[in-house]
Amino acid sequence: MEKTDQGSVEQGRPETIRAVPVRHPGRWVSVAVVAVLGAMLLHVLFTNPALDWDFVGATLRDPTVVHGIWVTLELTALSMLMGVVGGVLLAVMRLSKNPVLSGTAWFYIWVFRGTPVLVQLVLWNNIGFLWKQISLGVPFGPSFWSQDSNTLVPVFTAALLGLGLNEAAYMAEIVRAGIQSVDEGQSEAAHALGMSRATVLRRIVLPQAMRVIIPPTGNETISMLKTTSLVQVISLVELFTAGHDISTRTYKPIAAMIAISIYYLLLTSILTVGQYYLERYYARGANRTLPPTPLQRVRALFAGRAPAKTAAPASPAAPAAPDAPGGAPGGAPGGAPNDAPDGGKDA
Amino acid sequence: MTDLSKPPQAPAPDPGRPMVRAEGVHKSYGQVEVLKGIDLEVRQSEVFCLVGPSGSGKSTFLRCINHLEKINAGRLYVDGELVGYRQKGDRLHELKDREVALKRRDIGMVFQRFNLFPHMTALENVTEAPVQVKKEGRAAAKERAMALLERVGLADKAGSYPSQLSGGQQQRVAIARALAMQPKLMLFDEPTSALDPELVGDVLDVMRGLAEDGMTMIVVTHEMGFAREVGDALVFMDGGVVVESGHPREVLGNPQHERTRAFLSKVL
Repeated sequence: MEKTDQGSVEQGRPETIRAVPVRHPGRWVSVAVVAVLGAMLLHVLFTNPALDWDFVGATLRDPTVVHGIWVTLELTALSMLMGVVGGVLLAVMRLSKNPVLSGTAWFYIWVFRGTPVLVQLVLWNNIGFLWKQISLGVPFGPSFWSQDSNTLVPVFTAALLGLGLNEAAYMAEIVRAGIQSVDEGQSEAAHALGMSRATVLRRIVLPQAMRVIIPPTGNETISMLKTTSLVQVISLVELFTAGHDISTRTYKPIAAMIAISIYYLLLTSILTVGQYYLERYYARGANRTLPPTPLQRVRALFAGRAPAKTAAPASPAAPAAPDAPGGAPGGAPGGAPNDAPDGGKDA
Repeated sequence: MTDLSKPPQAPAPDPGRPMVRAEGVHKSYGQVEVLKGIDLEVRQSEVFCLVGPSGSGKSTFLRCINHLEKINAGRLYVDGELVGYRQKGDRLHELKDREVALKRRDIGMVFQRFNLFPHMTALENVTEAPVQVKKEGRAAAKERAMALLERVGLADKAGSYPSQLSGGQQQRVAIARALAMQPKLMLFDEPTSALDPELVGDVLDVMRGLAEDGMTMIVVTHEMGFAREVGDALVFMDGGVVVESGHPREVLGNPQHERTRAFLSKVL
C-alpha cells in the first residue's frame, strides 16, 4: 500500500514498456542454409538436360494426359461417393443393436481393410475367372437375367469397385468415430421428444458428427486422388498411366512425372480449399464466431485492419454482472489504486 | 402469456386423476440396485418434487418415467398406461421403439445440462420436434415456437445458437422445446443445478408460470425454496427408497425421519 506513493499514481498510468526484443541469431543461419539449398534446386531445375521443360510443357498439353485428368477426377469422385455412402451405412450397422448387422459390418471392414487395395483391384478386374456369368435370380434356382462378367464389369467398373469398396471400410471407421463423438445427452434429448431412431441419427447425431468426420474425409479424398494411380495395374488410362506411358515411350521419366505432379498438386490444392469451406460450414453453432474466410482476410487486409472475426448472427449475449465502471483508477492521491481485476460477483 | 403457446386441446384439469403411478419400481445397473421399490402417485396438475442426496436414485426414477431407463421390477404407469410394456394375459411384452417414441411425445423432459441441439438456432431447436415428429407445417410450428420463446422471455434470441446463450437462457429454450410438443407431463431433472446462482431465478419463474397454468410437473431439485413455495407434494429419497413424503411445507418444516433431518440441515 505504501509503495504506491513511489509509483506513478500521479501520472495515472505507468509509461508503456518498450523493451528490446529477444534476438534470434539461429534464424539467420537457417535462412542462409535454406537459401543455399534453394539455389541448388533451382540450378538443377534449369540446367540439368534431363529436365526438358519444353517437354514438360508438351506433356501438360498432351491429349491423353488431359483426358487422364478427367478419368482421375471421375474415379476419385465416384469411389469417394461409394466410400462415404457405404461408410455411413457400415458405421450405422456396426453401432446397431442387431448382432447380425454389426457382425456383418465388422466382417466387411476386416476383409476390405485387411487386404491391399492393389490386390482388390486385380481381383475385381479378373472376376470373370471366378464367374463367367453374373445372374439375377433365385439362389440355387432359376435365373431371370444373366450377363457376361467381362461385359458387366469393364475395367473402369473394376477400378471403381476396388477403390470404392475399400474406401467404404475406412470411411466406416471415420463415421463411427464421428457418431461416437456426439454427446449422449443429444440423442437422449431427441428421444425424449419422441423422435425415432432414424430421425435422431439424421437430424441430430450425424450433423454434429460431421464436424469430426469432415477433416479426415478431406484427407481420404486427397489420398484417394493419388491412390487412383494404382489402377495402372489393371491398365486403366488415368493421369498417372498416361504420364507413365509417355515416359516409357520417350525415355523422359523425370519430365513426364513432373508434368503430372503439377496436375496432382493443382487438384489437391483445389480439394484443400473445398475442405476448408466445408469444415467452416459444419462448425456453425460449435464456435461462437466463425473464423474469417481467406477472402474476408484479404479484404480486411486491404481495408487496413486486422482480420476481423465475422460477426455471428446475434451478439454473444452474456447477461453477466454489469461491467465495472471503466474509468481510470488513478486520481485519488494516497488512496490504494483499485487494481483488483473487476470481480463480477462482488456485491 | 399468449394463448398460442398453450396446448389447444388441454385436457380438463382433474386434480384427482393419477398422471404417474409407481408400484414397487426396482432398477439396477448390473449388480448395483439403484431403485429398491418406489411407490408413489402423481396427480394431474400437481407439482411433485423429488429431493434427496446425489446417488439416491431420484434422477434414475425420473428417467424411468419416459423409458430412457428400463425398470427391472414393479409397475410404472403414465396416464393409466404401462411405461415401456404391454400386458397380454399375465406376461409383459416390450414395446417397439416406435411405440415408445409415440408415448414420449406426451412427456416433456428438461435436463440438467440443457442438451440443446448446438447446430440449430434457438428457434430451430423449438420447431424441430413438431416438424419432424408431428409433421407440423413449418410456418405453423415457427409461429408457435415464437410464442413459446416469448413466453420464456427469449423472443429476441430466436436466431441465436445455444453457444451464444447463457446457461439460464439455454435452459429456458430447452423448456420451450419440450413445451412445443404440447406434453401432458413435464419432467425436470435438476434444471437449475448447472446454472450460476444469478440465473436460477429466471428458470424458476418460467417453471412457476407453468405450474400456475396447471401443468403436471415432476421436479428433481435442490431448490428447497421452490419446492416449498410451488410444490404440491414432495418425496425425500435416499438409497433407492422413499424415506418420507407429504406436503412440501410439512416435510421440509417438520421432517419425521433422522435421515431427512440430516439432509435438510445441510441444504437449507
